Amino acid sequence: MTLVIQLIFGLVAALIIGAAMMVVLVRNVIHAALWLIACFFGVGALYLLLQAEFLAVVQVLIYVGAISILILFAIMLTRQVTGEGVRQLVGGWRLWLTVAISALLFAVVIVPTVASQQWNVPPPLGPEGAPEPLAGPAELGRGFVSEFLLQFEVAGVLLTVALIGAIVVAYEERARRRRVLTLAEEHELRKRAAASDQPAGD
Amino acid sequence: MYELLDALINGRLGLGWPGWAVALLGHVAVATLLFLVAPVQMLFFTYYERRAIARMQDRIGPNRVGPEGIWQPIADGVKMFTKEDIVPAAADRYVHLLAPIVVVAPTMFMFAVVPWGPGMVPVDLNVGLLFFFAISSISAVGLMMAGWASNNKFALLGAMRAVAQMVSYEIPAVLSLIAIVMLTGTLSVVQIVAAQGGLVISTADLPGVPDVGLGWFIFTPVGLLACLCFFIAALAEGERTPFDIPEADSEIVAGYMTEYSGMKFGLFYLAQYVLNFLLCAITAVVFCGGWQGPGVGWLAAQGLSPANPDGSWVFNLFAGMLGVFYFLAKTYFFFFVMIWARGAFPRLRVDQLMDFGWKFLIPLTLVNVVSAAVWVGITRWGPEEGLDFTAQWSPLLRWGVAFALTMAINVVAYLTLARLYAAAQAARGRVDLEELVGSVPTSA
Repeated sequence: MTLVIQLIFGLVAALIIGAAMMVVLVRNVIHAALWLIACFFGVGALYLLLQAEFLAVVQVLIYVGAISILILFAIMLTRQVTGEGVRQLVGGWRLWLTVAISALLFAVVIVPTVASQQWNVPPPLGPEGAPEPLAGPAELGRGFVSEFLLQFEVAGVLLTVALIGAIVVAYEERARRRRVLTLAEEHELRKRAAASDQPAGD
Repeated sequence: MYELLDALINGRLGLGWPGWAVALLGHVAVATLLFLVAPVQMLFFTYYERRAIARMQDRIGPNRVGPEGIWQPIADGVKMFTKEDIVPAAADRYVHLLAPIVVVAPTMFMFAVVPWGPGMVPVDLNVGLLFFFAISSISAVGLMMAGWASNNKFALLGAMRAVAQMVSYEIPAVLSLIAIVMLTGTLSVVQIVAAQGGLVISTADLPGVPDVGLGWFIFTPVGLLACLCFFIAALAEGERTPFDIPEADSEIVAGYMTEYSGMKFGLFYLAQYVLNFLLCAITAVVFCGGWQGPGVGWLAAQGLSPANPDGSWVFNLFAGMLGVFYFLAKTYFFFFVMIWARGAFPRLRVDQLMDFGWKFLIPLTLVNVVSAAVWVGITRWGPEEGLDFTAQWSPLLRWGVAFALTMAINVVAYLTLARLYAAAQAARGRVDLEELVGSVPTSA
């Protein structure tokens, strides 16, 4: 059984890393966004492998269903989607220097983490005979309204502020709005114009 | 399925397979079965819709191929297969090819949590309802891909409209389901169905009620309002007629599928009808008891099960058949309502669609969530939760009070919102017209 799990883990990890690489390697921005969606899927599959069903579903719902759609919307409203003729910022020896610096910075983060990691930790189990999985929706909900209430409320306020901000930014004065007329409206206008012309003609 | 295969392979045949192989075989068998069922449902739905809409429009509809035209969808399928597959020269080939797959795959995934009968569910996820909606939101990505990769302005417009509509109407759909999740306290679709036994009053609210499988949520004020809101949102999600703006053929040809031909177009069609089937099915399951109906519970109790080892498998078979019959009957009824709406209503404008979703449905479903909380508070809570005054009431009195209170809240909310919404729409139309009259030069 563990062999099967490890095999699945290997496949999923390869998918995540490959997709993440493609996100930065492809030139077409839309393709990059689509690879990012594949990467999100892989992360969702990892959660599922860890038996965190709720997190896996929420990962798909929020990242694939909402955030990536937003990214796609934003990209489609921009120009230069294909990325052809875009000048590379660095080239030649400068490129290799950039790669080296990035690798060094990444190593600074990853090496201490890997070195101090305790491997082969047994998976955390619930109390004996607990039927609910550890990351079930009920446990998360209880955590949100008891232990992490402050964080939850702060996040809520932040989202509300963002929502109001979006409305303020997008709000358009009615007087300045211009609209394409529908046929019915054009007809109505013509009728009114004719009606207002009538008394003037008499 | 697992127990059955395990008993067959390891017990009867004595092959000694490991557990995961049996589980894999079981899931593959169920998945194959569902992959066969889904296209058949789609074929039937196309025929059903064409015949029903023809009847409403005083026509006959397809009646040439086979008795009463029942083989018409198969003839259509054959025609679809023989068509040339055209890819526009300026299209993004790979994304164009992948898009129909990304649209179809999620609809097949969604079958995983739909219960067909007592014990007949492919996977009983403890977050089944959420899974259903998470997966359905993936097809929006496929629509985006189709619209963009076709390199066609109608396709892109259609995709933008489709995605905007899906994202907007997901909110009222999920909010109306939250009311039911609050009533049952679970996200598992199987347990939501199990909570709907009883006779008008659910057994969960009144333990002594006779269980004939009719304690559907649609009989409570909370469930009724949630069902109506959910069904309207489902019409928008499935791009059915009052909300078929993304593929409005009089404006943008066929929306995101404009540049698709042959079987790729067929896949979009398949995805759409399967999605409609699933939306009708989930409406039936969550609000109308799914497979619950008179007789199923009794038959299932007589059958072979761990709790009842000396039952007869014949009863299991009959319980399953009756359950599937009730489930499909409800699903087909809801699809009939969809066709009915198509025959009765004209298409909305985009701004009307958005106004209706955001300014009417979402506030209404939010009020419904509040009345669901009131319902749960009055029928379930006791002194432990800090509600002393309901402790000495009988369950029937509690149910009655909850019914009256939530009914009052919902009716008042509906009337108020409807009046406000109508007034706002009228005012908006008036202002629009005045603005237009003011902006047009009088010489015109």
